[in-house]
Amino acid sequence: MAEVDIRKLNVWFKDNHVLKDLTLTIEENAVTAIMGPSGCGKSTLLRAINRMNETIDGCRTTGEIYIDGQNIYNGNTDVYELRRRVGMVFQKPNPLPKSIFENVAFGVKIHKLADGKKLNEIVERSLKEAVLWDEVKDRLHESAFSLSGGQQQRLCIARALAVNPEIILLDEPCSALDPIATQKIETLMRKLAEKYTVIIVTHNVQQAARVSDYVAFLYLGKLIEYGPTKQVFESPKHELTERYITGEFG
Amino acid sequence: MMRSRSWEKVFFTILGAPAAICLTVFFWITSVLLTGIGTIRLNLLTTSALQGGLFEMIVGTAYLLLGAAGVAGPVGVFAAIHLTEYARHGRLIRVIDQAINNLAGMPSILIGLFGYAFFCRQLGLGISLASGWLTLALMMLPIVIRGTEEAIKMVPYNFKEAALALGASKWETVKSVTVPSAAPGIITSILLGMARVAGETAAILFTSCVLVTRGLPKSPFEPVMALAFNLFVKIVALGESPDKVFGIALILFLLVISFASVGIALRIYYRRKQPWLR
Ligand SMILES: Nc1ncnc2c1ncn2[C@@H]1O[C@H](COP(=O)(O)OP(=O)(O)OP(=O)(O)O)[C@@H](O)[C@H]1O
Ligand SMILES: [Mg+2]
Repeated sequence: MAEVDIRKLNVWFKDNHVLKDLTLTIEENAVTAIMGPSGCGKSTLLRAINRMNETIDGCRTTGEIYIDGQNIYNGNTDVYELRRRVGMVFQKPNPLPKSIFENVAFGVKIHKLADGKKLNEIVERSLKEAVLWDEVKDRLHESAFSLSGGQQQRLCIARALAVNPEIILLDEPCSALDPIATQKIETLMRKLAEKYTVIIVTHNVQQAARVSDYVAFLYLGKLIEYGPTKQVFESPKHELTERYITGEFG
Repeated sequence: MMRSRSWEKVFFTILGAPAAICLTVFFWITSVLLTGIGTIRLNLLTTSALQGGLFEMIVGTAYLLLGAAGVAGPVGVFAAIHLTEYARHGRLIRVIDQAINNLAGMPSILIGLFGYAFFCRQLGLGISLASGWLTLALMMLPIVIRGTEEAIKMVPYNFKEAALALGASKWETVKSVTVPSAAPGIITSILLGMARVAGETAAILFTSCVLVTRGLPKSPFEPVMALAFNLFVKIVALGESPDKVFGIALILFLLVISFASVGIALRIYYRRKQPWLR
């Protein structure tokens, strides 16, 4: 668990100024939801926290993000270690073309955290933590593509948990799932917040209300409103926020 | 409506003609070569050339092919990885790209000439297996590079993204996600490259082959016998009649066809097996 302190964050894709002077502090041990209309920069904000934006050509970032007091954008940050500490789950489940076991073991091997019996234990623990173990324990060596969409998404969560992260980023993790699978993931997120800093991007206002402790509302690359979920939903300070949560646009 | 549809018909009929011609030529060659079956006795395959057999030619051709693949495979795969995953797109890359295309279209006699001048003379490898490997590898390279590039580009970006987001470095991602996912395509491209050079004559003509050797080459620096070369020399230099060499021709033909077929079969098999390629 760790606090994420974002200071004057700006991101450009070529000439497109996507995030504008964002400043906010994301609390540890809580679920923070980032919401806003399509294209407002939610994914970009999320991907700034594990520096995945820089894998895209033409992307430029200024400002600072402090995780546990250390600026991840200064020169001596080890991005690979950063991405171990900050796990990410994508919108579309994206298991690697490997077995269920190997998917979870992948990051552990990359970071040389364990092997042999210890590795098996980590895989089991992570799958249990992602509430997938009972469904896959007899077929660990089958292809990850043999799982359903919802199972694949929990596999991706297990994969991220296996490397001992402190922060979990989830980018619309339920948008490709049915209501039952969605509910499982939402329950799981609440549980994860006991141990991790959880940041979720969602299009779905109800989902933000259900799962989050804090909510940030972005509009055209600017942070319009940020605060405890209850407060933002009951008495939004900004008219745009109110219109968004009442479904007037989005 | 009617009008354009009938035009379409005419158009596609015309387009169908070259396909029909290809098929006809293929079957004609096949049927002519099959008459070569009569001249093959199975024991010829294992009889030494000194006794009028084909043994050293067959093994020599295999040596040449495997060695060339051993050079062009790794070099081509690494080149393709570099071009697709590492190189920044700019003028230099466009020049390299064009060079690869030109190499692909280069007459093999010119590649053979280069091989002779550079590998045999300049590097002092002489007429040898090694010179043949390097020269044939030059011919295989464009096929391996292009095929591997294509296979790598077909690996969905979200696989790479998944690995990177877990903290894998670029090389770890290439090594443990991109290349394994592209492996079927890569293997196919190497096999197709081998099919391309299996029957190659000009490139080995003055780089690695002689008409008769005593047994198989004992080191890469000795010359070698090969099916295609023997076929050529027997007809051009020794003036034998074509039907005398149909046996050699048939074996060569089967060799090329089998490499190409295995390559294509593998490609189809993996397309089915790997759902993300669809
Ligand atoms: N890889 C990229 N290359 C260029 N521009 C990009 C890239 N990714 C995003 N952008 C641009 O950045 C802006 C914000 O995109 P982002 O994906 O962060 O929005 P979002 O809020 O997540 O939208 P959605 O709800 O549709 O996922 C958009 O204008 C988009 O066009
Ligand atoms: Mg998004």
